[in-house]
Amino acid sequence: MTGCCGAGEKGHAGERPSLERVDVLSNERIAEGVGLMILHARHTASLVEPGQFVHLRVDKGRDFILRRPFSVHRARGEQIEILYQVLGQGTLAMAELSCSDDIDLIGPLGHGWDVPADVNHALLVSGGLGAAPLGGLAEKLAREGVAVTCAMGAPTQERLVGLDVFEAVARRVVIATDDGSEGELGFVTGPVERLLAEGSFDIVYACGPEVMQRAVAAMCAEVGVRCQVSLERLMACGIGACLSCVVTTKDGLKRACVEGPVFDAEEVCWDVSEIPPKH
Amino acid sequence: MTGSPDMSVVIGSLTLRNPVLTASGTFASGREYADFVDLSRLGAVVTKGVSLKPWAGNASPRIAETACGMLNSIGLQNPGLAVFTQKDLGWLETQDVPVIVNVSGHTVDEYAEICRRLDSDSRVDAFEINISCPNVDAGGMVFGTSCPDAASVVSACRAATSKTLIVKLSPNVTDNTEIARAFVDAGADAVSLINTLLGMAIDIEKRRPKLARVVGGLSGPAIRPVALRMVWQVANAVDVPVIGMGGITNSRDAVEFMLAGATAVAVGTANFVDPTTTMRVVDGLTEYARSEGLVRVEELIGALET
Repeated sequence: MTGCCGAGEKGHAGERPSLERVDVLSNERIAEGVGLMILHARHTASLVEPGQFVHLRVDKGRDFILRRPFSVHRARGEQIEILYQVLGQGTLAMAELSCSDDIDLIGPLGHGWDVPADVNHALLVSGGLGAAPLGGLAEKLAREGVAVTCAMGAPTQERLVGLDVFEAVARRVVIATDDGSEGELGFVTGPVERLLAEGSFDIVYACGPEVMQRAVAAMCAEVGVRCQVSLERLMACGIGACLSCVVTTKDGLKRACVEGPVFDAEEVCWDVSEIPPKH
Repeated sequence: MTGSPDMSVVIGSLTLRNPVLTASGTFASGREYADFVDLSRLGAVVTKGVSLKPWAGNASPRIAETACGMLNSIGLQNPGLAVFTQKDLGWLETQDVPVIVNVSGHTVDEYAEICRRLDSDSRVDAFEINISCPNVDAGGMVFGTSCPDAASVVSACRAATSKTLIVKLSPNVTDNTEIARAFVDAGADAVSLINTLLGMAIDIEKRRPKLARVVGGLSGPAIRPVALRMVWQVANAVDVPVIGMGGITNSRDAVEFMLAGATAVAVGTANFVDPTTTMRVVDGLTEYARSEGLVRVEELIGALET
């Protein structure tokens, strides 16, 4: 058993998270049921690495108390972008926040995407809001001279959120939608299988529904390509104390909030079923 | 009154610098909170429950949010006494804060064995015997809701250690005062309450329980009035110190518990919401004592006027 009481490994550079008051700079609906919130978050924006998350408090005047974890989509200057899907009372409350509101968050938290030094060509696979933690990664990879190919899946053309970010930096973006309104009809795993067969990728980064990540992980294992996934779990503290968000791995239980949310796909025990979180 | 009030309180053989503790299971051993909390300003750290051997805890989902609170069924996941002793106590030793180890077990012997092994460890200041966790099948609340069984755990621990012994009470009983008296008779130096209230929640779309274990422990502000009532009843029934907890979110809540008879208070679920809560409670309680013109914060204990 590991990860129960381990050291708080945070981020990549060892910087510490803090509790910070942040201002909502904008909060708009960008697709059906999907919001983009931009926050002025000086501390987090200066430290956050792609794949890390913030723990947001949105409970003012409500009868729920827990924070909500959200991956940072991108950080720019002193601002961070949060992509969120309205799924439950917490995200409903988020959708109602406006520019005059100040809220607080704890961030940056968690272990983000690892970019090994020998990577030349990365495949980023997103399903729906899974694009959220991949936006900043795509930009970072491009900055570091790594070729980026993106495979995006979404229910509809309208919900291909993050497409603009990927298109700006990726060599190629392949799209699949459930209704065929953009790209090919079907799940993103179809194009991923064909792309992997081309054999040019050193690494795959995947985020989306767990069933999609599991399928991508299996395909990567098949062709011998490294794969990292960002897993979502119900969280209470977000800082490693409560043990709510554990992920079953080959090395025992690990905390999604500290050892994750990004894990090597190979270490995850995919057989242990999880009921997807709902916020 | 312009001087600073004396904030110290006494629990068994321990003198704490102030009455604000952490509730077991919400604070790990403190390291995770070190970015947000100055541990040397806490009355004491109460660790997450430790068992003799590693426990894997329960299946996920382990938490569910409910109105003004949350359900948990973590199941006392912990790496066992050996890892705890090396890593957690090793780290806590570097912090200037009293350590109260929360002791969990499946059998009477397991509880007592942990007390015995840590009895000579100078890094441990006191034990809190957890016979009230609702999330394990053997031990835990099974002991804490049966008077003779619970007393036998307490007696065995009492025989195993001379350190201060605190027993944590379950709210899932008909009469807490009777059990509290039995614990004191068995050698408890203090009692703490409440542990979580057994509850459940259902996802109506899936027609499934929200917790994999179906039932779990309710905590947070939702339980505060119940906790306060039980603290008041128990404090009136026993003559040992009572550590009060259950939904404490700010210093006003802490004052309520002390007026009801608590000698100290513990902050639990609120640590998840705001990791700096304990510091706010310490500051607010000190300010309240000053504004009330108290010489010693102990003047608040049981000062309820009825």
